[in-house]
Amino acid sequence: MTKASVLDGIGTLLRLGLAAVWLVSGWIKVSDPNQTYIAVQAYDVLPSSLVGPVAAGLPFLELALGVLLLLGLGTRLVAVLSGLVLLAFIAGVAQSWARGLSIDCGCFGGGGPVAEGQTEYPLELARDIGFLAMAVWLAVRPRTWLSVDGRVVKAS
Amino acid sequence: MGGAQRSARKRKQATPSPVAAARAVGPDRSKIILGVVAVVLIAGAVIGGVIYTNNQKNATQDKSVRVATVAVDAPVKRDGGVVEVGKDSAKATLDVYEDFLCPICADFERANSSAIEGKIADGDLKVRFHLVNLLNNRSDPEGYSTDSANAALLAADEGKFLSFHKSLFEDQPAEGARGWTKDQLIELGKSVGITSQAFADGVRSGKYDSLVSAEYQKARSDEALQQDFNGRKGFGTPTLATGGKPIDTTNPNWLDDLTK
Repeated sequence: MTKASVLDGIGTLLRLGLAAVWLVSGWIKVSDPNQTYIAVQAYDVLPSSLVGPVAAGLPFLELALGVLLLLGLGTRLVAVLSGLVLLAFIAGVAQSWARGLSIDCGCFGGGGPVAEGQTEYPLELARDIGFLAMAVWLAVRPRTWLSVDGRVVKAS
Repeated sequence: MGGAQRSARKRKQATPSPVAAARAVGPDRSKIILGVVAVVLIAGAVIGGVIYTNNQKNATQDKSVRVATVAVDAPVKRDGGVVEVGKDSAKATLDVYEDFLCPICADFERANSSAIEGKIADGDLKVRFHLVNLLNNRSDPEGYSTDSANAALLAADEGKFLSFHKSLFEDQPAEGARGWTKDQLIELGKSVGITSQAFADGVRSGKYDSLVSAEYQKARSDEALQQDFNGRKGFGTPTLATGGKPIDTTNPNWLDDLTK
């Protein structure tokens, strides 16, 4: 087994893993749009006219990123976009923590205000940073097995 | 976008004639096509999703509030931002703090309203309804809590408070979704028998909005009304109180104990 094929294998696992993250989190949010609205609002960052569109669009953005990663279509671009979205999430959670808001990140459903002492900012940040690392790997080295990218580029 | 420019340059160098370019699609070009496909798919999903979600959230659009009538003959009086229902000679006074958008308030109403109405009708109980706008930013667009509370105070002026109040809780909009508009609130008023122009005008202009907000601020800053919510002390809805002290409604006999 060459070094390249080991790296391809790791990349494949990361790609499918990140796809699963987006599909699960997107699906939970799509299923409960009202809860998603409350979760987005709780960050207290966006002007109220933008909370609705962001809460409506974000779950579908996550699903689209998940589907494209699952297919391995435009992996580098999708990984970069995933990274940007994750950076926005990290910034959102970090600002809530810094400002002393008591909210649940709503990363995988739920979200909104919670009681003081029930926040889990360190865990939420660590998790998002982990996902960000996966996205960075794929942005730097998007070559993976079982991908539409690989097939198209090889065929042409 | 440096990458795209670079690939474009490379392609130019590599393809001397358009015919050759059409014949041989290089790896760079197919990467660009894949990228475009990905962007189009993402944009399509987001735009489609926003349209779909907005339709879902507007469940209260083009509908009327289902009317629930309360046939209790009791005096109804508005006292500032509070609605008093029941005889002054009643044995006990119950203070109810509610927000029309609060789902637990709707649960409370479903579980207790007929018992409370019975005691009002018997002359045993006077209820002071404090309609607060705690969840005013939890509807999309914001403002349903205030609009509905204002309309309920105006309905009290017309003597139709109980039916108006019950209808709004029985057909409650979801938190985070579109509430009932002022026009829909006016229509509900008509359905429960309010014919005056003053009601419609008051709903539109937000006549008692400031009373609603003042009532909420008063309740929120009242230490005695604060309760424990998962370890956090504060004011929440519904809060039931008598003589300025919260009532423990987990006691199944709380209402009977009150009017003993």
